[in-house]
Amino acid sequence: MVVENPLIAKSRKPGNFVILRIGEDGERFPLTIAGADPVRGTITLVVQIMGVSSSKLVALEPGDCITDLVGPLGKPTHIGKIGTVLAAGGGVGVAPLLPIVEAFKKAGNRVVTVIAARNKDLIILEDEIRKWSDEVIVMTDDGSYGRQGLVTAGMEEIIQRENIDECIVIGPAIMMKFASMLTKKYNIPTQASLNSIMVDGTGMCGACRVTVGGKTKFTCVDGPEFDAHQVNFDEMLMRLGGYLQEEKRATEIYLQKL
Amino acid sequence: MEEELPRICITIYRANRIINPIILKMTNLNVTYLGLDLKNPIIAGSSGLTNSIENLKAIEKAGAGAVILKSIFEEEIYLEFAHEFRKLGPMDNNLEFLDYYDYQIKKDNLKNYLSLISEAKKELSIPVIASINCTTAHEWAFFAKKVEDAGADAIELNIFVLPTNLTQTNEDNESMYFDIVSRVSSKIKIPISLKISSYFSNLGAVIRDLSFSEIKGLTLFNKFYSPDVDIFEQKIIGSDVLSQNTDYRLTLRWIGMMANRVNSDLSASTGIHDWQTIVKMLLVGATTVQIVSILYQDGFSVIPSMIQNISNWMEENGYESVADFRGKLSLDNTTNLAEFERVQFMRNFGEHK
Amino acid sequence: MRSKTKNKERTQIERVKMPELAPMIRVKYQDREVNMGLELDQALKEATRCMDCVNPTCIEGCPVSINIPKFIKYIEKGDILLAAATLKETNALPAVCGRVCPQEKQCESKCFYVDKLDKPSVAIGHLERFAADYERNSGAANIPEKASPNGIKVAAVGSGPASLAFAGDMVKYGYDVTVFEALHEIGGVLKYGIPEFRLPNSVVDFELENLRKMGVKFETNYIVGRTSSFEDLREEGYQGFFIASGAGLPRFMDIPGENSNGILSSNEYLTRVNLMGAAMDDKDTPVLKGKYVAVIGGGNTAMDSVRTALRLGASRAMIIYRRSEAEMPARIEEVKHAKEEGVEFMTLCNPLEYFADEKGRVSGMRLNRMGLGEPDSSGRRRPMPIEGSEFELDVDLVVVAVGVSPNPLVPSCLPDLKVTKWGTIVVDEDKMQSSISEMFAGGDIVRGGATVILAMGDGRRAAENMHNYLQSKSNN
Repeated sequence: MVVENPLIAKSRKPGNFVILRIGEDGERFPLTIAGADPVRGTITLVVQIMGVSSSKLVALEPGDCITDLVGPLGKPTHIGKIGTVLAAGGGVGVAPLLPIVEAFKKAGNRVVTVIAARNKDLIILEDEIRKWSDEVIVMTDDGSYGRQGLVTAGMEEIIQRENIDECIVIGPAIMMKFASMLTKKYNIPTQASLNSIMVDGTGMCGACRVTVGGKTKFTCVDGPEFDAHQVNFDEMLMRLGGYLQEEKRATEIYLQKL
Repeated sequence: MEEELPRICITIYRANRIINPIILKMTNLNVTYLGLDLKNPIIAGSSGLTNSIENLKAIEKAGAGAVILKSIFEEEIYLEFAHEFRKLGPMDNNLEFLDYYDYQIKKDNLKNYLSLISEAKKELSIPVIASINCTTAHEWAFFAKKVEDAGADAIELNIFVLPTNLTQTNEDNESMYFDIVSRVSSKIKIPISLKISSYFSNLGAVIRDLSFSEIKGLTLFNKFYSPDVDIFEQKIIGSDVLSQNTDYRLTLRWIGMMANRVNSDLSASTGIHDWQTIVKMLLVGATTVQIVSILYQDGFSVIPSMIQNISNWMEENGYESVADFRGKLSLDNTTNLAEFERVQFMRNFGEHK
Repeated sequence: MRSKTKNKERTQIERVKMPELAPMIRVKYQDREVNMGLELDQALKEATRCMDCVNPTCIEGCPVSINIPKFIKYIEKGDILLAAATLKETNALPAVCGRVCPQEKQCESKCFYVDKLDKPSVAIGHLERFAADYERNSGAANIPEKASPNGIKVAAVGSGPASLAFAGDMVKYGYDVTVFEALHEIGGVLKYGIPEFRLPNSVVDFELENLRKMGVKFETNYIVGRTSSFEDLREEGYQGFFIASGAGLPRFMDIPGENSNGILSSNEYLTRVNLMGAAMDDKDTPVLKGKYVAVIGGGNTAMDSVRTALRLGASRAMIIYRRSEAEMPARIEEVKHAKEEGVEFMTLCNPLEYFADEKGRVSGMRLNRMGLGEPDSSGRRRPMPIEGSEFELDVDLVVVAVGVSPNPLVPSCLPDLKVTKWGTIVVDEDKMQSSISEMFAGGDIVRGGATVILAMGDGRRAAENMHNYLQSKSNN
């Protein structure tokens, strides 16, 4: 969805995210900025319905206002001309991947992208990704579209035949973990964009803390991108489940209300 | 042309003859310490000199076999905290902010230490050993893992406790050492060496028992800071921080007595100021020696001359490697130590009338 | 006034007892204030105790030098509104300070009663609150006079007490003031940090409304340095900046297991409950509730956290503090209230390690007992672990309240800004001016996490000096 916010549209860089709130009772939650139009003064957000907040956002009509929107947050992606970049996006992770792919391509790199999802319906932004990639491989778990298999299979094929200078992985934490293990085997420097739980998004509360290289970092101010090989993904996965019960309960109550 | 050829051949032949014997005669000072390969037994011990990358590189250039980084320890954190406290300005009196600030300082200190380790491993090719001063077990076990992750080749644990706690028994005191070793070793895979003092009532048994624990090396002995008295001001003052060149004797004796009774490497420390003392330590059974005070006094350039002198001595005595003579003079494991001591005492004093 | 009642009679009066909501009741409600406020007759009586000393030592104890005898005597006379006006001469938020100032360390500690008579001081804090609440409830809108607008734009970064005090003064001087706030609610620590049962949001909102009426503009969801840069704001015409972005950076102890689920910083815990209303079912933000809750720390933040945990249904709510109770930085009243509510105080204890269940949720912790050794340079005795005293505790929620550090976001956008190694902004202590001449700073970002009254004092001083600076600049 396209949201009007001229200030953020102007100051935003690839890799930044925003924190939103829908309604006075709403919670604060993060979404990566998938694109921006500084001239029109708008930013583009991609949402997948996961729970209460995402449902509320999707339920908004054009013309409605998002109660609170703040950004741009996080450190922007470090873009440079390095040679060949392998970009891997899983599910809704393709949305934050798009601006990074675009930026790397514009910087003069060769960009090879693998996008993956469980099935055909969950493959998003394929055309936009193709626009900014030299080559795209689509993978689905069930084979309903593109090739059948996990994103790592597509990645490995590319790694075997090309010299990759850097890799970017964005997607569900478990996907990033395995993608990172793959690139570590081949010694390819890899950045992962983490999707930790956040409350304020400005470094104030520590809810989004992750362990990178043995040190505690905050996803919202030190990230969201980190050296994937140093991220403690097991701890991160564990922390992502910290509010599972509360989230389930909230979703039930919300669905009942509808 | 034909006349020249034979001359060249003869020269080459002679050169071959000359070169090979030299290769055979060249001494090699290689040792294995804590499972690590060192090119010689001289280690730059833990001190203020092993605290910066510049110094560490200079020490390596001077030829040391390994370095032990400056210790990290709790007292430091409090001292720094105290130091910082003096320049607070508008933060004066802010008790809530300062209450647990030492944890922050510790975090920063540890971060710097870990950075020093990883930088040292990038720049140096000789083994880099981290050093930790402990008074309690649990804190350092956690930290030891981070030290391992940063790339240290080994850890020297320095259990820095004077037996001044009058309520603690011998058993309490000693069991603490085993407790610390066991907790730290459960967290890491890199080798551990333990640096101890000589303040044990049954020092021999302690050395032996510790050597059979999870450690790979024992460093004898820690040098404690000793107070002195100023009789004019009538107050307690500090004394020399550097060792004297006769301070090595206690270490020499115990290494000599225990070398054949232990299950780990022994590293000699305190009072080693010249190449002769290094040879003495090796003869009585030390695997390596640690030098500190002499580096403060005379600089890193003492190292190459020590190496040269030791090589020369080895050559003069027909030794090709350190293994050839290490422990030659250590007590064999069948000698009764108490008997031996008495006999030596009698020999030195009893017979002089 | 002095002659009306003899001093001897004044000193016979006992110090008033603030009516408090009963502990067993108040523990069920996050949003019911514990201190219920004095009644008029109580206030009049307490005001009579004040002897209007010739040399009022109480004023020395006040960080913003409120004319204490003056406002108390107005109360005695019955002129409560004039008392409130007196307070507002120096203190922008008396309703807040009356509730949260550590009076026992400030004005009340210097009261004649304490100093010379060894009796409880005049209840200056309670009286301040009384006057401020009276004015608020009376509906008497006291909008102070303003100078005519001078058209110069100034910005305040952060909307906590320092900025509010700064904005209040600058708008009076005639400036066009905009307060920028990163969060979606205004008030900073007054809203997200201090719980409703100590400082109701309605009290804060009233003061904010007053500021709006005076012409102060507020922008929420605006991160200066990110949403726009300082350069952008300069281009828009802002000539002076007051940086008061606070100490919103949580500190952890970095001990094993601290990243388990169920271990939160006090910032996170209090923000979820106070700012996002997480305790209420109709609010989306969740908060983890625990039956066995441990709060590490001994300051006001720790007290707020542990009392919140009780109100959210903890069976056991414990304070774990490494020193003794006498050394706790928290307000004495908070400690007293916490004890009445059933908080367990485990002093001279320090956590070593946390354990988690198979899902990664904290299930227990190991602690050490501490003894007190020699004083360190802060003058406080140093906590030393007692070897062999380790023990374990079952917990399912831990709040780490060991202090906060200045939020680095704004300083990181200004490379020329001088910052100490603690993360605080370096300022000239009299002028509150930073190393960048048009930027002033105050509050927690200069002091580390400190008090509301000190922050307000900074805001007012910065306003006065920025005013001088801008005036002399425009005259040149």
